[in-house]
Amino acid sequence: MKNTIKQIFHSGKFLFGFVIFMFILLTCLIYPIFVTADPLQMIGQGNFFKPGTYISVEEATLEKSYTLQIPKQFSKLEMVLDVETRAKIQDFLIKQAGVAESEIDVTDAESLVSLWKTNYDPNTKYKGLTTAKRKALKRLDGQIAAAMKESGVIIAEKDEEGALAQSKVIKDTDYVNIKDVSKKTFLLGTDNFGRDVLTELVAAAKSSLKIGLLAGLIATAIGLMLGLLAGYVGGLVDNIIIFITNLFTVIPSFVILILISYSVGDKARGIAMVGIIIGITSWPWTTRSVRSQVISLRNRDHVNLSKLSGHSMFRIIFTDILPYIASYVVMAMILQISSGILAEAQLSMIGLGPATTKTATLGLMMQWAMQYSAHLNGSWWAYFPVVILIALISFSLNLMNTGLDQVFNPQLRD
Amino acid sequence: MKKNLQKVMSLLCVSALSLSMMAGCGGGSTGGTTTEAPAATEETSTEAPAAEETAEETAEEETAEEEEAEETEEAAEEETTETASSDGESTPRNETLYEAGQQWGTINDWNPMSANSNNGLALSANESARELVYETLFMFNALDGNLYPLLGSEYSWNDDQTELTVTLNTDAKWSDGSQFTAEDVAYTYDTHVKYQSSQGADFSTYIDSVEAVDDATVLIKAKVENGVAVNPLKVTSMLNTMYMMQKAYLQTVEERNGEDADKVKQDTMEDLVHTGPYAPYISNDQKAVLQRDDNYWGQASSMWGKLPVPKYIAHTIYKDNAAGQVALSQGEVDVCQQFITDVQNLWLEDDLPISTWLDDAPYGACEVMPSMFFNVEREGLDQKEVRRAIAMAVDYEQIIASAMSGQSPTFDEYPRSVVGPTDGERKYVDFDAIADLQWKNADVDGANALLDDAGIVDSDGDGIREYNGKNLSFKAECPTGWSDWNASMEIVAAAGEKIGIDIQTYFPEASSFYDDMTTCNFDICMWSTPGAGVMNPYSKGMFYFSEEYAKLASNWSGNFGHYMNDDAEAILEAIPSETDEAKLKEYYTELSRILLDECPAVALMYRPTLFYAVNESVWTNYPAADDGRNIPPTDCTDGYGIAALYELELVE
Repeated sequence: MKNTIKQIFHSGKFLFGFVIFMFILLTCLIYPIFVTADPLQMIGQGNFFKPGTYISVEEATLEKSYTLQIPKQFSKLEMVLDVETRAKIQDFLIKQAGVAESEIDVTDAESLVSLWKTNYDPNTKYKGLTTAKRKALKRLDGQIAAAMKESGVIIAEKDEEGALAQSKVIKDTDYVNIKDVSKKTFLLGTDNFGRDVLTELVAAAKSSLKIGLLAGLIATAIGLMLGLLAGYVGGLVDNIIIFITNLFTVIPSFVILILISYSVGDKARGIAMVGIIIGITSWPWTTRSVRSQVISLRNRDHVNLSKLSGHSMFRIIFTDILPYIASYVVMAMILQISSGILAEAQLSMIGLGPATTKTATLGLMMQWAMQYSAHLNGSWWAYFPVVILIALISFSLNLMNTGLDQVFNPQLRD
Repeated sequence: MKKNLQKVMSLLCVSALSLSMMAGCGGGSTGGTTTEAPAATEETSTEAPAAEETAEETAEEETAEEEEAEETEEAAEEETTETASSDGESTPRNETLYEAGQQWGTINDWNPMSANSNNGLALSANESARELVYETLFMFNALDGNLYPLLGSEYSWNDDQTELTVTLNTDAKWSDGSQFTAEDVAYTYDTHVKYQSSQGADFSTYIDSVEAVDDATVLIKAKVENGVAVNPLKVTSMLNTMYMMQKAYLQTVEERNGEDADKVKQDTMEDLVHTGPYAPYISNDQKAVLQRDDNYWGQASSMWGKLPVPKYIAHTIYKDNAAGQVALSQGEVDVCQQFITDVQNLWLEDDLPISTWLDDAPYGACEVMPSMFFNVEREGLDQKEVRRAIAMAVDYEQIIASAMSGQSPTFDEYPRSVVGPTDGERKYVDFDAIADLQWKNADVDGANALLDDAGIVDSDGDGIREYNGKNLSFKAECPTGWSDWNASMEIVAAAGEKIGIDIQTYFPEASSFYDDMTTCNFDICMWSTPGAGVMNPYSKGMFYFSEEYAKLASNWSGNFGHYMNDDAEAILEAIPSETDEAKLKEYYTELSRILLDECPAVALMYRPTLFYAVNESVWTNYPAADDGRNIPPTDCTDGYGIAALYELELVE
């Protein structure tokens, strides 16, 4: 036994897969110790805030500020007036304002802006502009005005009569130390409900692993039992079992999965229920392969000897046959876990997974990201980490499986 | 001689066939025959059938010809539609206005009386009716709440509000060239009633008769009880919600269906006669296209004075919202009636020529309130404390910011009441009088205290409160795939968790949701109030309180939770015949008070009736809030919004 384990860990593939898997597993266990927040708490009010650190604006304005003479590498105006914007302004000046092209020098920001200021009036409806362009120019005007403004933002407070009184001026050299103000970091941004994606992802990975493990165990248990019986007993029992197995193989298991999940209804659909449902629909191929292994084993000499010694069927199965296919069963279970995780993701994607407000799962995260078209908005953080994580989990499990195969399968042993 | 040859050949043919069959069955015992036999059949077979054919020819001639004729006709039809649909240039881009978000499958009929039509291009008979193919007498404009003339030019009530006289536009013509007359109006109404279409059943409670006085004058008599019309508001709303159909055509339809009510209502009416500016052109599972009728009567100076600008109105049938949104951002769609997450990013970040009605949040003209109804017949939800506690605990700002992506004003800006957020409706409610009934956003503590005080507590320690010894556990449902509603229900469920009430979300297919909602078989469900209309805010009051709706066997109209309140019912009965504004304000304020106090239903957000985002890559001059044209953002198709079609311009 010790030797076998040693052998297994000598396999590079297994080790690599094992390390990835353990990393994910440990993250799932350790992360919640440090981040105790409820993974389903809706913090952000809005859809898909981008990853980064958010600091309190109010505190930042009120906090003691430090003056840092950092030389400005660029002027604000230059930042607003990129090449495209200049072209837009030129276009407007020629077409709508009737300025001669020769008068416009797009390389000179100052003169361009002064031309803009004399010719553009935000309240005029210029002919030949689409609504979208008119609105865009209005926004541009605002940006230019902001960039032209002298340094300093005035903070004012309302007094008792409701009149504004200046309380502070913020200059462009004012900085606050980030340690002084409250902040919140979303390493992976927020999702459509405003929940922290990273925290949710860890919780989701945990529940997905639970579902996968449960589904894998159940599927392997059923598959093993039926396979052993069919293979060893043979005859009518074999025929019946293989008939049922064939039925299940022919009907796509995902369809059965959908039907069962749908009929179970939302109320009962927790992690355990989803795991069980996936488990009892994905056993057929384990049955088939276990059966064929057993058939090749049952006429071996040691089995016949056991039979002659009058051992009971169960004893023969468990002591003379099972040990020989144990390694295979373990490998099959790893694959079942991996496919169980994928099946959960698929189920949740079509809205048949666990309840959104009760648990986080990888599939649910994908479903909501899709519903709020994160893939169209460029909000990659809402779905890409989930995809990567699902891929990593099944990759590591498959890698471990291949590694085990190389150790146990004499034909593959080098 | 020739006949003999034929006989010999056919004999040969038969023998060759049987030989080859025998050879096949025999497993190829004789190599020689198998190779030769097929050759022989090939030769003979060309002649043998010909001989047989001549013999039977005369008998089959007639039927064959008929069949052939039909086939060629069909083939020709198929060809035209196919070339039109497969060939992208068949409707030139600069003559076609593309819509999205209205049609989600192959159009199944063009019948305004149909109960299960999915036709989103021609049929949408609500307050702002779709006026592209069929037309109503008047067009509703949600911006100012007025009716604008279309087929009818004027309408007036008599002094005691029992008779409505409508003068028709004498220029109005049917698509077959015949005159549109008062007879058509009367017959349209009578047919609706005769076959009990949903509109017919609805209006016949309030309208006694529709009569043609002369060719251009219609007299609508309201149902009168005790000398007062039952509901003059409802009678007026016939003007802008009922599509006019031609008498002669309706008679044809009745005749071909043997006057059978079900058959008449299920008639697809593909050969329709209509008054509108567009006619059906292409309809398949890829897209639906309407073509402009260049003889449209509306180009008369008494109506528009010109034809609508786009020659075609096309609607590609998209798989889902995402597909429609991609098409909009690529300029393949001009007008998009779809909810778009963070719509402002389309122009702020992607710099696309896309705009909405308003430039800033809430982006659209919000006028309806998607509301959750509590089924007051369910144990637990019959307690007003439970309903109010759920209502108080919900984080509405979260719903508005995340589920609605900020496309709704908040309840701080527009406090809750029975009326929508438009000025025209808000003037009917005295908000100071009901200020103490408003609750602050996500008031979990207040909700918990309310439940504790009412003695509804968690006594068995499972984290869920009990009422009469049973856990408070409810299902909140709305149709699957309606993403903003689904997310809202999730946020409601999250609120339930905080106050010890177990709320599960349940998103069935739309059809089974409709079954549940219309038959009061739900715990909590979600549906939207009626939009702006001549009946508002009365229709919103009805939506929340009407006992009449609750008693319907299949209730699509409102009060889905069967909440009965005699005070509210008395007010609803008094409102239609009341004309004094101060009195009306009193009534609506009282209705709002009952709504907030008893919480039979709770508005979750404000929302536009139709979403509206336009892409100006091909067309421009769409309605916008600040353009001063008074054209509502109804996707250039509904109610007075169709006026936009006459003012569209191509982008230079």
